[in-house]
Amino acid sequence: MNPLDDQLDRLFRAAGQARLGPVPEPAYGVETRVLAAWRAGQGRDSGIWDVALLVRGLIVASVIMALSFLPALKSSSETTSPFADFVQLTDSTVSSDDAP
Amino acid sequence: MTDAEVTDCLARGRAGDEKAILELFHYMHPHVAKLVQANLPHRESAEDLIQQACVKVMSHLDQFSGKVPFLHWVSRIAVNTCLNQIRHEKRRPEVRLADLSEDEATVVEHLAAAPDELDASDHVASKELVDKLLLTLKPADRLLMRLMYLEGRQVDEIAKLTGWSKSLIKVRAFRARSVLRRSYGTLMKENP
Repeated sequence: MNPLDDQLDRLFRAAGQARLGPVPEPAYGVETRVLAAWRAGQGRDSGIWDVALLVRGLIVASVIMALSFLPALKSSSETTSPFADFVQLTDSTVSSDDAP
Repeated sequence: MTDAEVTDCLARGRAGDEKAILELFHYMHPHVAKLVQANLPHRESAEDLIQQACVKVMSHLDQFSGKVPFLHWVSRIAVNTCLNQIRHEKRRPEVRLADLSEDEATVVEHLAAAPDELDASDHVASKELVDKLLLTLKPADRLLMRLMYLEGRQVDEIAKLTGWSKSLIKVRAFRARSVLRRSYGTLMKENP
């Protein structure tokens, strides 16, 4: 064994035997805080259901939004170029201007 | 308090008996305090942290399934509260001989001079020296070294307390031990 490891082990063993300070008594007012936390924890059931309901609502809303965008996406994919309408309009204008 | 008494207290607590909840609190408080004090030495906010851990336990009491002993469950919450507290602490780059008190320097000398165990009179200084050496580690590694070497906990137990996997604990322990060896080696080189 590495001599440093041996010394470290002995150091840890000695440190582990050092007595810790006395355990402090609960501070004034802690009991009240603890009871309040317990009551809050008990009443959390309804809160969790509220959150679950909200999440479900958000999911449904996202699905509806996605479905409403579908037709728009479909029509835009049918168009070959975003400038197609503009080019078509220009063509027709030029051709009508050239006409005798 | 036996497991049966804890179960009884929990049942009474669920029925709305505040006295039972306070009994549970007074039962777990010394245990939480010991854990926090052991893992956060020389810290003024230890008392706040003990309260924080107790409040966290009580606010999640309805989630205690009873599959593990109550104090194990409490310990896990207390250790995680400590971890959250120290997560962002900075580590010290190194420890030099000049940083040590006279007693701590004597411990280094004793360790180097003879292969014997240290005397009881050196225990407190040893603890302080270890605290200084541990400051060179990352906070999570520091907590792991305390649990493993100062409290003598096994890998399984640490895994349950921290929620880390056994392999992660072993890797962390190996790495932390290497850093400690290096820090301690620096002290030894400076030791005349």
